[in-house]
Amino acid sequence: MLLNYIIRRTLWAFPFMFAASIVAFALITLPPGDYVTTFAQTLSQSGDVVDETRLAALRERYGLDQPFIIQYFRWISGVLVGDFGISFEWQQPVAGLIWERLGLSFILEISTLIFAWGLALPIGIYSAIRKYSVGDYVASVIGFIGLAVPNFLIALVLMYIAVVHFGTDVSGLFSPEYRQAPWSFDKFVNLLTHIWIPIIILGTSTVAGLIRIMRANLLDELNKPYVTTARAKGLTEFNLILKYPVRLALNPFVSTIGWAFPQLISGAVITAYVLALPTSGPLLLQALLAQDMYLAGAFILLLCCFSIIGMLVSDILLAIVDPRIRFR
Amino acid sequence: MVKLLPALGGGMVAILALSSAALALEYKEAPALAAEVAAGTLPPVAERLPDQPEVVTPAEIGVYGGMIRYGLRGSSDHNHILRMVGNQGLVRWNPEFTAVIPNLAEKWEVNEGATEYTFYLRKGMKWSDGQPFTADDVLFNVNDLIRNQEFAPTHPRYMSDGEPMTVEKIDDHTVKFIFKKSYGEFLNELATPLGQHPVLYSKHYCSQFLPAYNDNLDADIAAAGAGDWQTYFIQKCGDIEVPARWGNAERPTLDPWVIDSPYTGGATLVTLKRNPYFWQVDSEGNQLPYIDTLSSDVSQDVESLVLSVIGGNIDFGLRHIDSAANRPVIAENRERGGYRMFAADPGGGQHMIINLNLAHKDTGMRELFNTKDFRVALSIGMNRQELIDTVLLGTSEPWQQGDFTGPYFNEQLSTQFTEFDPDKANEMLDGLGLARGDDGVRRMADGRPIKFLVDVIPALAPDHVDLLEMIEQQWAVIGVDMDVNPLERTFFFERTSNANDHDAAVWGGGGVQIVGVPQQLVPLHHDARWGIPWSQWYNSGGKDGEEPPETIKNRMALYDQSKSTADPAERERLLKEIAQIAADEFEVMGVAKAAVTYGIAKNNLANVPDSMVNSWFWPTPAPVLPQAWFYRP
Repeated sequence: MLLNYIIRRTLWAFPFMFAASIVAFALITLPPGDYVTTFAQTLSQSGDVVDETRLAALRERYGLDQPFIIQYFRWISGVLVGDFGISFEWQQPVAGLIWERLGLSFILEISTLIFAWGLALPIGIYSAIRKYSVGDYVASVIGFIGLAVPNFLIALVLMYIAVVHFGTDVSGLFSPEYRQAPWSFDKFVNLLTHIWIPIIILGTSTVAGLIRIMRANLLDELNKPYVTTARAKGLTEFNLILKYPVRLALNPFVSTIGWAFPQLISGAVITAYVLALPTSGPLLLQALLAQDMYLAGAFILLLCCFSIIGMLVSDILLAIVDPRIRFR
Repeated sequence: MVKLLPALGGGMVAILALSSAALALEYKEAPALAAEVAAGTLPPVAERLPDQPEVVTPAEIGVYGGMIRYGLRGSSDHNHILRMVGNQGLVRWNPEFTAVIPNLAEKWEVNEGATEYTFYLRKGMKWSDGQPFTADDVLFNVNDLIRNQEFAPTHPRYMSDGEPMTVEKIDDHTVKFIFKKSYGEFLNELATPLGQHPVLYSKHYCSQFLPAYNDNLDADIAAAGAGDWQTYFIQKCGDIEVPARWGNAERPTLDPWVIDSPYTGGATLVTLKRNPYFWQVDSEGNQLPYIDTLSSDVSQDVESLVLSVIGGNIDFGLRHIDSAANRPVIAENRERGGYRMFAADPGGGQHMIINLNLAHKDTGMRELFNTKDFRVALSIGMNRQELIDTVLLGTSEPWQQGDFTGPYFNEQLSTQFTEFDPDKANEMLDGLGLARGDDGVRRMADGRPIKFLVDVIPALAPDHVDLLEMIEQQWAVIGVDMDVNPLERTFFFERTSNANDHDAAVWGGGGVQIVGVPQQLVPLHHDARWGIPWSQWYNSGGKDGEEPPETIKNRMALYDQSKSTADPAERERLLKEIAQIAADEFEVMGVAKAAVTYGIAKNNLANVPDSMVNSWFWPTPAPVLPQAWFYRP
């Protein structure tokens, strides 16, 4: 049953990916002008005379003078064989630009997810069971503040405090001597000494949100008759809570795993921008601003892939966590 | 900031290098290089320098060592690197931005008609990999790239009367550029960062990326995933204004520092190390540069750059941080960060200039905007002092356009109609028969309300939007309904510079008459948003666009004359005449002088002047020679 479902969902993903790639490419080419216009604008800002024949020659070389369908076909036929094209701005193959950044995004996003869940679940359970206790109020107040303050602002304030009061720089993921170094154990250790700052900054709002969700879900369950029955049968309180109501309250969490996947690329763009993190968010933003369409296209396409995979994974997990859910 | 033009009148005039023979000097070098020489991995300093290196006389003789951190951003900041290492062209600007002086060429000659320019290169000069730099490199750049239409159509900078320049090799160290017609501005063009093409690429390295020199090129292109040879060439050898120029550590250059950790899409740290073959020495024979490395973290956000400055993590900074809003916080933290501030003077121009579309597609609007009294009323209906005090924190003064001082200063052009007089403005508008409707907004001749949009790019200068929003309120008092129209920059460019769909638009700068094009005085290209169809007519030789009125055509003819004249005095006279006509016509209006901003330098970073020009054409700070800066022990 489950296997059948997975196969069906996977097959459906292909036409969906195809549609998504068209939409992605259309969106990238939608803004007025193209990369050459942006380039001309940049030259013009520095006072250069932009010569129309040069621009036309560039457009022709990049194929930007072709109709949409032809441009799309050229792009997608390359993508199918793993060639994502050239980044106009950097004149480098796109594939070389995105993978390292994606890797770091992946590490950061997974760490943040573990941090957020690890903190939010126990606190959420505690707040629900000890509703209206001092601990619940403290958790709620901190949670609301975490939800209300934008991440990038926390980042800026933290950076300011670090620079002005401690004389250190908290931006980036590596110390300067490790920036260009090849991967090694020392570099990994260096990463660990830096990555906790963005994890905490990015984690705050997620933690806050999850605490509220967990608390509300659990409160719904706690008063249901099956809980009373179990308690009457003499189960210890700890076993009872974890085994029955918490398990049900987890459902919404599992279904949000699907959203976490596209976050690998687009997550926390502004925070990463402020903190100068070498993750994919800032590069995507910059590619979109410069209308660097193959670079932006590769990111958007991967974003779509991750969304589809993420949804699939969360559906399957949901079925495992909650046997009541059945596939048709 | 005008300036320029070395005297060329009267026959052949040779301009000699500032200081010639340095033969008496015994050359010295950085300790790290001396160690390499001792180890036998590098030739001795006397062999690395040209026969006659340029001798620079710094304010203080320096010591070797140290690193300058200057604060790069992750996108579109490649020109920041260029500003630090300098545009090592055949000639360069003097520190005052008043004349062109020798650089790679130790001297030059210009014939009487300014059609032939002969440059004498420094004998024995070498690229950063130790290969000789000779006339063949110049020939390669001109013949294989500048004139190569397959690579790119020739830039108008290297053309005369529709024909690309040609180059002749006189001997190994002498080249002659030949133009079809007089080209008096050529030396000024060569001194800007955009005029480096004749000496940008080294033949021995970059020729391998051209089809004419490499039979295996197709395989190399495929291996690099580049698509075509043009892309591959740019990827490896760069171009003046593309990031790839700083993306290949192997490319030989003539710069004081060469790329070590390249500026690429994923870079988080960019470093440059000293060029052991750099061709300048100080007056005691020490080979420049003094500083070992240029290094920069790549940040995205301007706020985090400001934080780096006040945390003392930037040694020299100007670009990105010099806004009026940042001045207090940067000044306040001087002691903490261990830095001093210096003045960065644009020399001329305008913080924001308003271009009403005088060639508007709508005849009613066009007629209105072309009425001089209407424009004058708008100008005196603006309370410039209030705008400056509120938005620019009092750091500027009312100004229309043009140079602040010097030969091109024109009082009428710069200061006419800058006084605030709403009563007179109302009177003038009443006098034009533009009566107010019930809503207080005046009506045009055809009965429509006077209502128009001003296009602006918030990302270019956030305070442009603030200024316009205040002007909107000020103009409402005189019965003109203006609305601010913030646009994304490529849309702005499409709408205002190509399609001519705008009512009005604003832009920075404008009116500076040195090397750039005076597009606020005469509509010559895409930045003249007050007469785009006229500029299209001019640039297409009358095929596209729309024929401009007589007064504009007259100025276009004067401009053409000024470009081709060989006599600098005549050129100055013609440009002044253009400015005077523009002053009388009063087509565009400015708000405030381009402000004198500031930069920061570490307290012990010596030889950084207290004030310098701030311009892209004089790429700050390159002409004050960062290679001669050093850390006082």
